[in-house]
Amino acid sequence: MVDCIVTVKGVPDFREGKVHFKEDNTLNRGETPTVLNPSDRIALMAALEIKVKHGGKVTVVSMGPLGYKTVLQEALEVYGDDAYLFSDRQMGGADTLATAYTLGMGMKKIGLPDIVISGFKTADGETGQTGPQTAWLLDYPIITHVISIEVDTGNRKVLARRLAGEDIEEIESPLPCYIITDPNFEASYRSATHRLRFLKLQEETRARAATIDSVFKAWNATELGLDPKKIGLKGSPTIVNKVEAIPTAPRERTAKVISGKDDQALAEVAKQIAQAIRG
Amino acid sequence: MPLTWTSKGNYQDMWVFCEQNNNQFVPCSIEMLGEARRLMDKYNKDYSADEKVVAVVFGYQIDALVQEAIERGADVVYSCDDRNLEHFLLEPYTKLIAKAAQGKDTYKSYDEPRYFLFPATNNGRDISATALAALDSGLASDSNLLYINDELIRHPVKTKRGDKVEEIVYPRILHMKRPDFSGFEWSTILCIDDEEKDFHPQACSVIPGSFKALERNSQRKGIRIPVSFGLVAKDLRTKIVKREALPKEADLTNKDVIVSLGRGIAKNPTQGIKLGLELAQVLNADVGISRGVVTAKYPVDPAYMQYIRDVRQVGETGQKVKPKVYIALGISGAIQHKKGMDKSKMIISVNADPNAPIKEFSDVFIEGDIFEVIPKLEAHLARALGGTK
Repeated sequence: MVDCIVTVKGVPDFREGKVHFKEDNTLNRGETPTVLNPSDRIALMAALEIKVKHGGKVTVVSMGPLGYKTVLQEALEVYGDDAYLFSDRQMGGADTLATAYTLGMGMKKIGLPDIVISGFKTADGETGQTGPQTAWLLDYPIITHVISIEVDTGNRKVLARRLAGEDIEEIESPLPCYIITDPNFEASYRSATHRLRFLKLQEETRARAATIDSVFKAWNATELGLDPKKIGLKGSPTIVNKVEAIPTAPRERTAKVISGKDDQALAEVAKQIAQAIRG
Repeated sequence: MPLTWTSKGNYQDMWVFCEQNNNQFVPCSIEMLGEARRLMDKYNKDYSADEKVVAVVFGYQIDALVQEAIERGADVVYSCDDRNLEHFLLEPYTKLIAKAAQGKDTYKSYDEPRYFLFPATNNGRDISATALAALDSGLASDSNLLYINDELIRHPVKTKRGDKVEEIVYPRILHMKRPDFSGFEWSTILCIDDEEKDFHPQACSVIPGSFKALERNSQRKGIRIPVSFGLVAKDLRTKIVKREALPKEADLTNKDVIVSLGRGIAKNPTQGIKLGLELAQVLNADVGISRGVVTAKYPVDPAYMQYIRDVRQVGETGQKVKPKVYIALGISGAIQHKKGMDKSKMIISVNADPNAPIKEFSDVFIEGDIFEVIPKLEAHLARALGGTK
């Protein structure tokens, strides 16, 4: 049995048509719906792979407003046995260090697992810092940019392959440990037993997601026993001083503008392209 | 008159973590040293100070690297030369950084570094996060513009005195600017002390390619401070069992023709990728994507997953390409995308928005829905290229 905790986050839905900009080209968060961070889906798939192969429990945790329950619901659709939301007005405005502290304390209250899994970067903040910082505060060994995991339950070890810049490394670490999945992570199910179990677990988790309340808990700062000086704005060393639209590039080329409906003009462009390739 | 903030501790110098791979600095390491040199030369002039650029170099048999760090701009090099540190390992490297940054020695009498830079590479980002967790201070990520000056701050927590939020001048603040989201927003991140607690070092990771390295200058002098190893078994609990070079996937940097896809594929991502691939096949081209596609993580048919992965991203934080012909399909054209493709000889863009910024750096701008334009263009190209295929 290998117990996992997966951290997830709600982020603005960056798909075209969903994302709204203000007039100055900055993101209009109020108008943009919140969804499960896409990278976290990969972390959940990794936890599901471990559950299929070794059993155990997958717990999903997040920090954010109470409305993030829908985000946890989305997470449970991928996989989760239960879900916790750390939610308190005092936690608002947290940077990565304050978030890492809050997540770490939450995990301690739930009970520290064999493996913590986070996705690589959130689609909004994109710092990629919260996972490593949480691992550091928990004093868990960390393996980042992981593309595949094998757990050796007998020897209480993990063997993971990771992308290290220009190299692939195989890393061995004792359990418990903290895994950060790379966007290129792939789960592999070679045996029929595993594939059947995968399908069964998927069906069960979708049912849980639909009626999330029986497996969902929200805890505030007091319930988590958090030091008010270490959370939210107060616990955050950094501030965002200014957000501005990046100026668009000055004109460098004067484009010949043609309509996509103008067949003759398209034929002409095709000829120019052909010439440029030959030349 | 606003108050002027004075930190409680003593902080000095700009530290730079110089990542190496197989005993060569990754390019970002020497780029950061160059920028640190420029920033601190100006800082010393502006504040009549004499603060240093301090490089941190770990590895095995690294004498040449220590020398190079000095020749590239460092005044002081903290080094640890140990067989266990030959390849990057997050935990021991973090412990050693914390030890050097918080300790006192023959050179360092101050409490902690004032500023700290890390490369925004896979390993550099990770260690920036763990090192700053260990040093209990703040960190911006992926900066591409830095400057130091005094800043008037008004902040609901940082400058709250009693019940009142004051305006306070924070001197010598490192301004860390980072492009956000798909490259349309620029945030300035600051790391600021509050009334009860100092947050130093002020740190960030730096996007590779943002700054220019200095030429090596063998006349430059510097001092080397060894950090004693002193790690215990627990610090080495993660082990590299095997290490092999990654086959370079989707290298677009030497292609003659590139077809790139942007968020214009959103209404049917799978079909959009398919059309892009078909066009690429006619042109004998490879396929790139914009950062917008990487961020959006569209649900696509598994057979096409490889075409929406970050390895194919063209732009400031992806590959920098210079083909004979670059065809941008449904890419709006943030400046960060431009930085990856503006050296292309001929740029053709297709976009439904007649005001898409990419028009300003295209040779031909085809206004239209990519789902309609691509098949037509492809047919014409097949004819135009007929003789050479």
